Amino acid sequence: MTGPLTGLRVADFTWVGAGPFLTKPLADHGADVVKIESRTRTDPIRLMAPFRDGVPGPNRSGYFANRNSSKRSVCLDLKHPRGKELALQLIAESDVVANNYTPGTMDRLGLGYEQAKAVRPDVIYLEMPMNGVAGPYRDHRGYGLAIGAASGLLELCGYPDRPPVGTGTNYPDHVPNPLHAAVGVLAALRRRRHTGSGCYIELAQLESTVNAIGPAILAAAAGESVGRAGNDDPLAAPHGVYRCAGTDRWCAIAVNDDAQWVALTAVLNQPGWLARPEWSTAAGRREHRRSIDVALGAAMADRDAVRLAGQLAAVGIAAAAVNDARDLLSDRQLVQRDHWATLDHPEMGPSIYDNIPYRLSGTPGRLRSPAPLLGADSRAVCVGLLGLPESEYDQLASEGVVG
Amino acid sequence: MKPLRGIRVIDLSDWLGAYPGRLFADLGAEVIRVEPPGGSARRFTPPLLADGISAGFAFTEAGKSSVMLDVTDPADAGQIHRLLASAQVLVTSQGPAILAAGGLDTETTSTRYPGLIHLAISPFGQTGPDADRPATDLTLLAAGGLLALGGDPDREPVRPWGEQSSVIVGVHAATAALIALLVLESTGCGQVVDVSAQEAIAHSTENAVQYFDLEDVVRRRAGAGPVEAGTGLFQCLDGWVYLVGGLGGRPLAWEAIIEWLESSGVVADPLREPRWQERDFRCSTPAVEQFRALFEGFAAGRTKRELHEEGQRRGISIAAVATATDVLDSPQLVDRDFFRDVEIGGRALRFPGSPYRMTDSAADLRIGPGPIPMQIGTPSLRNASAHPLPVGATA
Repeated sequence: MTGPLTGLRVADFTWVGAGPFLTKPLADHGADVVKIESRTRTDPIRLMAPFRDGVPGPNRSGYFANRNSSKRSVCLDLKHPRGKELALQLIAESDVVANNYTPGTMDRLGLGYEQAKAVRPDVIYLEMPMNGVAGPYRDHRGYGLAIGAASGLLELCGYPDRPPVGTGTNYPDHVPNPLHAAVGVLAALRRRRHTGSGCYIELAQLESTVNAIGPAILAAAAGESVGRAGNDDPLAAPHGVYRCAGTDRWCAIAVNDDAQWVALTAVLNQPGWLARPEWSTAAGRREHRRSIDVALGAAMADRDAVRLAGQLAAVGIAAAAVNDARDLLSDRQLVQRDHWATLDHPEMGPSIYDNIPYRLSGTPGRLRSPAPLLGADSRAVCVGLLGLPESEYDQLASEGVVG
Repeated sequence: MKPLRGIRVIDLSDWLGAYPGRLFADLGAEVIRVEPPGGSARRFTPPLLADGISAGFAFTEAGKSSVMLDVTDPADAGQIHRLLASAQVLVTSQGPAILAAGGLDTETTSTRYPGLIHLAISPFGQTGPDADRPATDLTLLAAGGLLALGGDPDREPVRPWGEQSSVIVGVHAATAALIALLVLESTGCGQVVDVSAQEAIAHSTENAVQYFDLEDVVRRRAGAGPVEAGTGLFQCLDGWVYLVGGLGGRPLAWEAIIEWLESSGVVADPLREPRWQERDFRCSTPAVEQFRALFEGFAAGRTKRELHEEGQRRGISIAAVATATDVLDSPQLVDRDFFRDVEIGGRALRFPGSPYRMTDSAADLRIGPGPIPMQIGTPSLRNASAHPLPVGATA
């Protein structure tokens, strides 16, 4: 079955976190995304937990698998002249080349933009360095939450009375950086259709992530103070996350106006709250929000989070139980919309993947295959796509250059 | 040519769907924001800038033009439909019931405008039992599972700053719309792109679902990361730095950290004991506390920028935990001329530059924020018929 991007080919040199989530939507919509991998320098995320049954192995990581559906994998030794040649041949057959190596790596390998353009003049060539391909911090190291820290995101996320906590994830790797990059690549493809010209795209992960907190930058530039706000809303109250019955069960509630406040007191059977004059207006509730939080917490402590959220939503109040991963897999809306896809992976067996979080009504995408085994498509790509004679492939494979 | 030149986008979204139009405008599309009488509520949402305009509104509306139209007024509705007849993309971000009440449900738009992409962003998607459930940023982050991962274990889950649900769904939606645009320009066929914020958020929970599926482990909030000596946030003279001296496996640049401490007179030799090479020891409370005391004693007299630059010079993965003000002063971002001044109310307002830079044979494609529509309903639609690149012209 084909997809809206069938016919497009991507030479995908990305690895670890951010890059693969850029090429995934392209692959899931039909593009032939060929991951160029190494047997000696394995993509670190192939060796990151969780693993099927907790047993580590390069073909057992769910972290890797979920980011690499619908792709092919070819192993090449890029430091060997024949490996590099094959990579350039693949680039010549590709519309898009993407990498998120440290600056200068692809140039040193002889696979930089100029070399790519020489074999594929209309190539769209994306690089995703951490700080940029130039500038005083170009060569800085950054593991873990470094981009979140440098971009201002980490500092803004958390409780006002404690040190920052961030999002609890490597958010820049999952959201702004891969998907801003996808937008850039797709826009460049559209431009190429009209002009015939490819282009070079630099997505500095620091610059991309700063855009996720754009309004804070504007406010700071205008001299306004911005800081961690916990779960507070600047206008609405009550607005927070409240403990419910059970172990670590919580319900998020946002009350935006007087009608919702009245409805909340009815659902929680707290008519006395309406008699308190300081809670009778939106401004009053905002000012006295901490005392409301205490009362709400007491009123909700014995309630079931899911049922209460449903009761509140039914009367027009935004409310939701705080879903953990187990809850997500049985969430009625996500299940009804087939958000979870089970793909039968050759080594991991049937495993759960995120489906595409959108549906194109006319030309839908689809998770066509589970993540590839390391080097699973080396022969098919080298022989079938690049025309390498079988005998030469076997020779190179025996030397460890391919395979 | 800018990548999206010739594309007209009609933006009827609310807070949840405002970001894709901004990205499209930066890339050269003509984006027309339709506001209700009195203006979008988002114009007045804090933090407010000196002119009384909302920072969030300014950020997402830069480069868009604005028209004031009341979808419930028949004459205005007619005007909206004339706009849609001239556009390639319609952006909405409401559930099916609200769309239907305004005559813009996906069935109507797809029947009436077969060559239109209806980018139908919504809290939960256009179908399913919760499609019309009320939602805000906080409750969407809860329903999508990201909220459960944020915060300290001894406190309530805490959301990230700045309505990130709109960023999360926005970047997915922009990606989806551009795939549909490539289809439109090769086939002439528009379509409905049904984007669920809940699903986009669930897609952003890192490896949490796979942890449960593969290892039967439910990930919980864990503060600013796993507790391990040498890694995490450390207090310094003017804030925090984020140091990575190890992440589970072998310690990183451990000797360099020790030499750095010793160079300023800290007795750090105990860190050379072999047990510091072991992850189990580094994760123990005594190890965490001993390292923190040593490093924070050293850092107390130094600024985060000093620590960042000196540590990096020594090959250590360390970053200043930047405030928004620090970001504006970042030597890297300033050197790269990242920020853009956008005129607002007669003054220049500093914007982050585009998330990406594109060059074609050394020509900068000049992607970036355009002017902010200060007045509701300006500028006019004088050029409404201008289509430099009709659909399918050179596809």
